[in-house]
Amino acid sequence: MLDFFTIFSKGGLVLWCFQGVRGPAATAPVNALIRSVLLQERGGNNSFTHEALTLKYKLDNQFELVFVVGFQKILTLTYVDKLIDDVHKEFRDKYRNEFQQKGALGLLNGTFDFKDDFMRLLRDAEESSKVRAPTVMKTFEQSLKSQKTVKCMIETRGEKPKEKVKNKKNKGSKKEGNEAVAAPTKGSVGDKQLSAAGDKEELTKDEILQKNREEFFRRHMKAGEKSRSPKPDAQKEKGKKPRVWDLGNSNAKVLDYSNSATNGSAEACPVEEFDPDMALGDKNREPGRLYDLEYESDDEAEEEKVIQNPSKPSAKKGGLGGMFGMLKGLVGSKSLTRADMDPVLEKMKDHLIAKNVAAEIAVQLCESVAKKLEGKVMGTFTTVTSTVKQALQEALVQILQPQRRVDVLRDVMDAQRHHRPYVVTFCGVNGVGKSTNLAKISFWLIENGFSVLIAACDTFRAGAVEQLRTHTRRLNALHPPESHGGRTMVQLYEKGYGKDAAGIAMEAISYARNQGFDVVLVDTAGRMQDNAPLMTALAKLIAVNAPDLVLFVGEALVGNEAVDQLVKFNKALADHSMAQTPRLIDGIVLTKFDTIDDKVGAAISMTYITSKPIVFVGTGQTYCDLRSLNAKAVVAALMKA
Amino acid sequence: AMADGLEPDPAALRELSGPAALSVLIALIAVALTLLIWRFVQGRRSSRKAVLLLGLCDAGKTLLFARLLSGKYRDTQTSITDSSATYRPSRDKSTNVTLIDLPGHESLRLQFLERFKAAARAIVFVVDSVAFQREVKDVAEFLYQVLVDGTVLRNAPALLIACNKQDVTMAKSAKLIQQQLEKELNTLRVTRSAAPTTLDSSGGPAQLGKKGKDFDFSQLPMKVEFVECSARGSKGEEGDADLEGLEKWLVKVA
Repeated sequence: MLDFFTIFSKGGLVLWCFQGVRGPAATAPVNALIRSVLLQERGGNNSFTHEALTLKYKLDNQFELVFVVGFQKILTLTYVDKLIDDVHKEFRDKYRNEFQQKGALGLLNGTFDFKDDFMRLLRDAEESSKVRAPTVMKTFEQSLKSQKTVKCMIETRGEKPKEKVKNKKNKGSKKEGNEAVAAPTKGSVGDKQLSAAGDKEELTKDEILQKNREEFFRRHMKAGEKSRSPKPDAQKEKGKKPRVWDLGNSNAKVLDYSNSATNGSAEACPVEEFDPDMALGDKNREPGRLYDLEYESDDEAEEEKVIQNPSKPSAKKGGLGGMFGMLKGLVGSKSLTRADMDPVLEKMKDHLIAKNVAAEIAVQLCESVAKKLEGKVMGTFTTVTSTVKQALQEALVQILQPQRRVDVLRDVMDAQRHHRPYVVTFCGVNGVGKSTNLAKISFWLIENGFSVLIAACDTFRAGAVEQLRTHTRRLNALHPPESHGGRTMVQLYEKGYGKDAAGIAMEAISYARNQGFDVVLVDTAGRMQDNAPLMTALAKLIAVNAPDLVLFVGEALVGNEAVDQLVKFNKALADHSMAQTPRLIDGIVLTKFDTIDDKVGAAISMTYITSKPIVFVGTGQTYCDLRSLNAKAVVAALMKA
Repeated sequence: AMADGLEPDPAALRELSGPAALSVLIALIAVALTLLIWRFVQGRRSSRKAVLLLGLCDAGKTLLFARLLSGKYRDTQTSITDSSATYRPSRDKSTNVTLIDLPGHESLRLQFLERFKAAARAIVFVVDSVAFQREVKDVAEFLYQVLVDGTVLRNAPALLIACNKQDVTMAKSAKLIQQQLEKELNTLRVTRSAAPTTLDSSGGPAQLGKKGKDFDFSQLPMKVEFVECSARGSKGEEGDADLEGLEKWLVKVA
């Protein structure tokens, strides 16, 4: 049932491969697994879907191996997890020598003849999943229904309830088999029957039925009166009566518990000790003035100290046992277990969240790091904390590294060679700095000698077009046409307010092509990700105009919202695109970076969700405040305590 | 009594002074000097014994690694971590180098380069000759990042650009690849230095080659060579790989 099972080292050598049912090669799906899961730190859950296959994997961090099994998505095989674990254990034990002693050469030169063992394990796993045979259905003879006579199943009117109760009793007696009839336990009735019931085994079933029926009749006569009394009740309850509240009809007077004497009279309430100082507080305030909020950072520091103190005594309790464990850990050859890593990971997760990384992403990151480190042998003089921190740092740098080339100028040159403008679209929610950063990017492009056309496709916000016009004027003042060979370096293309943004964009692009502009920067209106009609409009603009670069502008102050924004933007773009491969967000512009000191977590959240690079970073409001991302500096700021 | 106890010591010391103290001093200096020299020599010799295999994803680095070390063909997957082993380039010389195969994936390559660049005596940059036309910009970007690295410029390890996958008919020749790379690196010099500076503004990237003139591989401080090779080998998986040029160069470098 399996499509394939591969075992390969983390360095890339395939140690053993089993090609199952039919054989598309295992390399492509496994490569996809590696690239999307392991390298993007999404290693939290251990299964991955690729086209028609489901891939499950397991990492061995001690010997740096990866075990991958692939099977058809539509099958749900329950024995796969167990199979992987068993194979892992056997393979590791069988070839331990190769791994430990010879290193890479051992992997290269060793022959891993695992097929027989694997077939055996596979057979065992399949057997174990089949052990519970499906329960066989009872035959008709075995069921209870066959033991009832036809007579008792005939329903005549009036006797219906009797029949039902009788049948229940009969069933009860059948169930208990040869026991004395337990159901009619009304003693007076039962005695006679019990003695007769003692010989029940010799009685045939019909006679048992007969006896029970007689019994029942007798009881029923007695209970007749009882049954009659509930009947009048039933008759009475036939019609629904309106509910009567106790005090409902009584008037408000009864409910008024206020002391009519006290209202309005001054003697009723005792005179308090009125302290004007306490009530008014600050004696020096000016009457009528509204003061600013005072920012006290001392309180926060005190709170942190308070939180830390309770944790210290628990550390002390660790005591001797902890010390020995630490010594053992220091000397090396201790392999990491989940229990060791959990407290450290918890702390790291809280630290990341404190640095403004979105909560779910911090959780996923820590999970992935745990998976990568489980079972790894620590070197000498390394503690668990340092190993985990190191691994987390590497993971963060890995996330921030761009998966594709980030070189806008190179692409613009390419487009220039083909005599077509390079189109960049800016999208994002309200107020993140799209227009400001658009102006900064056009300044940078002009400095490098490219002419820019700004398309004002924000036809909604009041003053959007005027803002861009002011920027254009300023840029032209800074770079007048004379210094660039008589060419206007930046121009605004606008059609006022209220028009369709996609149409304006299309016209702007064709205008740029005719006039020979190198770059077109399209500014769109800010929109919330939940606003469906506006998201549709944005998706239409992007699908129709096919820009070269779609930049999502996000501010660095955003916290958990970043995840929601990016997911919904991408989803909207994917849903409304007609093409096979829809245009999604290609890059991120991180703005207002100067407003956060070292709470740089938003960068991580955004790159993790989209796996697209951060192309520009905005650090202020002047034209020169445009930077590119330095992954190491950001991670250093993030890991700083 | 105390004074008596103390008195002999200065006397004894005075006796020791003179030739004895001088010899002790000389001995100490000699030991220190030997230690220093030994550490220096050791450091120099052992610090740069590595030959790095760099390149884009799917260029064939891991297969090349396997072929060089064992001569056999192995199936490979995308590497997630480095692999290293000692390699003896030639049977007569007793020198050996550490061959290190680094992952080529975009998110890992720079990290691993950071780790191993100081120990590099030589760099083999593996290029996929079949997909080169499509990937020329990415290849050039990675090569640029390697070449402007401070440590690499300082140590100037020998660079070999191995044009792999020559067994396929559509493979580009080494000459063509050299020309295209020079052109691309020429453009990259301009665009990269014009890119917005990084957040901590650690200074712009170093200048590659000579200003004013078109970029040429001969302008670099290290020796650059181009070689064609095929890790898979023209006779299929059972046959040998076509690695003569590469092996000769390794012998030269070791």
